[in-house]
Amino acid sequence: MAKTIRDPRIRISRRIKKDKVFKVKVKFDHPSFTGLGIVDAETKPVFSRAIPVSFIRNMFVYYGDQLVSRFRMSSAIADDPLFTFKLKAIQEAPIKVVFVDNQGKKWEASKKIKFKN
Amino acid sequence: MVSQAVFAGTVEEEFKIEGLISPASPKALQSALLKKLAVKIIELRLKKTKTGWPVLRLQFDTETISREKIEKVIGEIEDPAGHKYKVHHGPLLANAPLLDEEQQAIAILGDTPEAFPIMKNPITDKAASANRGEKLFVNNCVKCHGFTGNGYGTVAHGFTTWPRQLWAWNNTGEETDGYLFWFITNGRSDMPPWGLILSENERWDLINYIKTLKNPGDE
Ligand code: HEC
Repeated sequence: MAKTIRDPRIRISRRIKKDKVFKVKVKFDHPSFTGLGIVDAETKPVFSRAIPVSFIRNMFVYYGDQLVSRFRMSSAIADDPLFTFKLKAIQEAPIKVVFVDNQGKKWEASKKIKFKN
Repeated sequence: MVSQAVFAGTVEEEFKIEGLISPASPKALQSALLKKLAVKIIELRLKKTKTGWPVLRLQFDTETISREKIEKVIGEIEDPAGHKYKVHHGPLLANAPLLDEEQQAIAILGDTPEAFPIMKNPITDKAASANRGEKLFVNNCVKCHGFTGNGYGTVAHGFTTWPRQLWAWNNTGEETDGYLFWFITNGRSDMPPWGLILSENERWDLINYIKTLKNPGDE
């Protein structure tokens, strides 16, 4: 049961140029469960509550000190999701992502951005 | 002490059950329970229970078995796939309160509040309207807000936002009509925009019904 969940990992290109758009990939190994079970197969499937629900509800993206994006999620999110999004390289400052799940537990990761010319 | 054995004895009690995850689980639970304890299963209700949790109704003799004992035994049973059962004690924390960090972030990025118009409920026969509203409520709203309006609907515990306790509007006056009509019409986050689905009169019927919902107490 309650396996400890490791912090997420960020992956970015090693060749980021000033003012160009670059891709950020974030991998987070977090289980997801709606909490519902199919308990009546005889007629048509009926869902009831089965176990407590578990999912990531928010991901925040910071670039430098600035909050630049929020991803809002529900129990429809996959297990161990991979997020990809783009940012414009306006400054050499770290990128930070913060995850919060429905229990209010929090994880984060960050990565420095350095320009190559 | 005078013995009460003749009068004490058989009772019927309900247990909310966690762990019924697959079509095989109800049967597995019941047969294991009968093997381990001298109880009589009156019913294992899977559908349309008040809180969405399946309800097990048992008859047993309090002279020989306690509720605690039954809960303990249920907690020890495993279904063939290795899932454990458990007696549920509410309320369910499906969504913990927002952290400070989340609140600040949401304040920076929006959920911007909109203005809602002040409106007058055009329906005069409130009782008949609430009756129609009850049917609409059961068909459209219960799966999220629950039969009692408690926000414990079956599908709601996977949402980012708690579907709100609608009994909070019990007996409120006409000053809340504009807000409720606006909210039901437009929806927000996981709440659907019912303006696309239900007519204006149907939405007013729902509002008249919501205002009759009473606080059902702890679930
Ligand atoms: C899919 C799930 C879902 C269904 C179905 C649903 N709701 Fe909701 N409802 C919600 C959620 C979630 C919220 C909270 C939204 C938020 O605050 O962002 C909400 C909020 C509300 C509110 C606002 C209450 C307040 O305290 O501000 C009202 C009123 C309401 N719902 C009425 C209804 C009615 C009437 C129906 C049926 C026609 C209905 N809802 C069906 C999910 C649902």
